[in-house]
Amino acid sequence: MLNISKWLIIITVVFSATSLLAEEDGKVYGKGVTLEDTTQISDILATPDDYVGQRLMVKGRIVDVCKKRGCWMELAGDQEFQTLRIKVKDGEIVFPLQSRGKLALAEGVFEKIELSMEQTLQRMKHHAEEHGETFNAEEVKEPMTYYQLRGLGAVIFE
Amino acid sequence: MAFKWRKWNNILHRDIGYLAVGLTIIYAISGIAVNHIDQWNPNYVISQETIKIHIPENAKTGRIIDETTRQLNIEVPVESSFRPEPGRIRIFYTNQYTVDLNTKSGIGTIERVKERFLLYDFNFLHLNYAKKLWTYAADVYAVALLFLAVSGLFVLKGRKGFKGRGKWLTAIGIILPVIFLIIYK
Repeated sequence: MLNISKWLIIITVVFSATSLLAEEDGKVYGKGVTLEDTTQISDILATPDDYVGQRLMVKGRIVDVCKKRGCWMELAGDQEFQTLRIKVKDGEIVFPLQSRGKLALAEGVFEKIELSMEQTLQRMKHHAEEHGETFNAEEVKEPMTYYQLRGLGAVIFE
Repeated sequence: MAFKWRKWNNILHRDIGYLAVGLTIIYAISGIAVNHIDQWNPNYVISQETIKIHIPENAKTGRIIDETTRQLNIEVPVESSFRPEPGRIRIFYTNQYTVDLNTKSGIGTIERVKERFLLYDFNFLHLNYAKKLWTYAADVYAVALLFLAVSGLFVLKGRKGFKGRGKWLTAIGIILPVIFLIIYK
């Protein structure tokens, strides 16, 4: 009869092998991706209002990730100087910080966020703190509007 | 023969308690760590340093990356790079370093990210980053904790049991969070 220590070894080996197999095609986050076609980030950013409310899948290099909670990541667009933020519910999906630079597919609902002046100040202050920048509230003159993909799932490739 | 419920209560409390020790320690340590997330980063140690790279005039992206890698003596492979805006480049090295550079002045930062020893893994389990089967394992643990809490009330008889001092201490334990709820909610 197998003793407890042997059982522990068997369980560890089986779990490790399963996780290695699962990660061969990229690591899945949340619900993964289900759509067949990707939409170019440059197309979305050219006429963002046309895409609001649509479920989209985008592809790009991860160029930034929320450092504390992993609750958002930014994907580089297919053209220079473009990025799209993928925001997920805190805790529902956690993007690892080490995934910066890796290729990813992300799926979600495209949305337009219109902030009040107070929310704009809060957001810019938080952004400045996160990036170690100085923040001057007097420089902010008008409320912010931005677009993001409300992420439902993603696949990050090694 | 009468069913000796207290004996079985104590046996189950003891053995389920042993099983729950590991995860309780993990959850408790992680709980403290993430409770203070506004004051620190419970998952990563992030160090940042200012750098100055000598970039040859009119150097293209490939050359800038090569020069940066060489001058900083970075030995891990380049994962990819990105131009956030004209005159700036971000270079990602596998799993560790990110360099953010002004391509005109050569001044920038190098950021090194390291998972906090053990704490990252504790948070991984506690905050259920894994999802999938771990969600159910954590549910089983939660039910076990519930059982331990209730069975713990009946471990001892008499003056030191629930009917003695136990009922008062239990009441304090319930009243305390209620007070905080009343104050803060």
